[in-house]
Amino acid sequence: MRGVLCAAMHKVERQLQLVALLLDSPDPLTYEQVRERFPAYDQDDDESAKRMFERDKDDLRAMGVPIELVAVDAWESAEGYAISADRYYLPNIEFTPEEASALMVLAATPDEDDAAVQGLRKLIYGAQDGPLGLGGSLVAAGPDTAGGALAAVWAAMRRGRSIGFGYRTSSGKASRRSVDPFALVTRSLRWYVVGRDRDHDEIRAFRISRVTSPVEEGPEALARPEEFHAADHVTGPWERSEDDGPGARVAVDERVAWWAARTLYDAEIVGPHDAGRVLIGAPMQPGVLEWVLSLGSEAEALEPEALRAQVIEVLEGMADV
Amino acid sequence: MSRAVQRVRRLLAMVPFIIQHPGVPIGELAELFGGSEDEIASDLNLLFLTGIPPYGPGELIDVDIEEDRVWISMADYFSRPLRLTRNEAVALYLRGKAVLGTPGLQEAPALAAALEKIETALGDELGDVAERVETAGTATPPESLDLLRTAAAARRRVQIEYYSAARDDVSVRTVDPEQIFSASGFWYVVAWDEGVEDTRTFRLDRIRDARLAEGSFTPRGLADPHVRLYEPAAGDPHVRLRLHPEAGWVAEYYEAKVRSRSDDGSMEIELSVTQLAWVVKLVLRLRGRAQVLEPDELRRRVREEAVAGLANYR
Repeated sequence: MRGVLCAAMHKVERQLQLVALLLDSPDPLTYEQVRERFPAYDQDDDESAKRMFERDKDDLRAMGVPIELVAVDAWESAEGYAISADRYYLPNIEFTPEEASALMVLAATPDEDDAAVQGLRKLIYGAQDGPLGLGGSLVAAGPDTAGGALAAVWAAMRRGRSIGFGYRTSSGKASRRSVDPFALVTRSLRWYVVGRDRDHDEIRAFRISRVTSPVEEGPEALARPEEFHAADHVTGPWERSEDDGPGARVAVDERVAWWAARTLYDAEIVGPHDAGRVLIGAPMQPGVLEWVLSLGSEAEALEPEALRAQVIEVLEGMADV
Repeated sequence: MSRAVQRVRRLLAMVPFIIQHPGVPIGELAELFGGSEDEIASDLNLLFLTGIPPYGPGELIDVDIEEDRVWISMADYFSRPLRLTRNEAVALYLRGKAVLGTPGLQEAPALAAALEKIETALGDELGDVAERVETAGTATPPESLDLLRTAAAARRRVQIEYYSAARDDVSVRTVDPEQIFSASGFWYVVAWDEGVEDTRTFRLDRIRDARLAEGSFTPRGLADPHVRLYEPAAGDPHVRLRLHPEAGWVAEYYEAKVRSRSDDGSMEIELSVTQLAWVVKLVLRLRGRAQVLEPDELRRRVREEAVAGLANYR
């Protein structure tokens, strides 16, 4: 009767008990000892009991429970299972209420298996008096920290290894990359690994979300150069990479000019132009042509002449379709 | 990951929290640890029977649930949680670093301090590469952020002048701001729009001018802990574009569905949108690197806008 009841014991309950038993025991316990004290494994069928124990142990190890197999005595006559308190328990970290609620900002994700949120749930166990929960700022974290690629790059950097991975550029070109990772850079909640492309011997930035395969560790990585500024290698679509020549002048409808000026690097409203339009001035930079086009009929490129000609050419092409 | 494993993992994190917070409401546990209140309650019921074999007196965990509040005692071995796995530590630390780069985040100083403590305490898990993390971009917070935050907290009505990119239109609106959030590097406010008598989400950098208006409001419960920027509605136009390889970023930036990719790197994408106006401007901006496959109306409007633009030059 007892056997029947205990075999039906819930897996969740059984695994928790195994943790409690090993954590609480001053000495390592052999499988036989575990089985004696543990009705769930004390079935008539030896084989299936042992399999059940092995599966439980593997599940627990996978979630980070440090179950170790160690010698039970100095003569190493037998081996037993143990969970060392040092390796199990989170070290004590005292967060102020403000710090604890700031950490909660990182929880705005509905994904149950999200590693960052799993970690956060452990860290906040002792937070007192803070406004835990929602109510602070909400920041959607973006997808890059959820997957394993970022953690794999981190691990490789720790070990001083190069990395290999499948990658798809923003223009859709897929290839295998081999990289010495120098640094991780975040920009607008996205992550990039910056390093030396080993095949092209060039410094490049790779966006983590464009990694298409598991990240593998390769040969030892080249060390990061002195005075290396990884952030300089990660630029946004609207940023000027270098100054090239005299500035652009564009007439824009007054209605949207304030908004338009905000979307181009270093652009400013110079003053009124003609009826209902103002003049925006900005340094020439990659993307100016696209910026003018994105304003449609609300903008007229005045200078330089080359920009004006390009805009006309593109519009003519599109008016013709 | 199996359901049972998820439950064990949740319990191992939740039990220490309950021990430190006697009488914590189940609703709060559901919010912090995920899952519904019923799921949390059934997990706690399993705990009733847990303890250390052979379950002598004092070896069973004592769980007490009264009026949706929970107490746990007799479980000293669970009074502190399990360490973070390396993955958890790295993911949490890096998410913190990324969020820290959000311009105008009120919690930034406290978050930075918390991350420093984590870096020190979890040295084993994190290693010594923290100095190799950098933040790029020098965005400044939108001008209206402080005013809207204050207004949302004080439940004050606000008047904004707003440029809607979706509709490509500037208008003055009276709104009741309920929730401010940040996503993909932009700040947004979820508000009740008086004029249309409906909920709207506004991007703060598209607000030209914001000022407190007369009157206050009673929140309508518009705040949602799980931020969503766009929810497709039935009847929204479907846009299909063929993108030249150099316009491939569009698929990623707008999280479009990629229908097919060709060997030359071009691809066909599908976007679900509420308004076509912004797509017209997008197609213009792509200067021939995006071909409109659908709908016809979009193709027509792109042509019309190009013709209207040319008129400026004649």
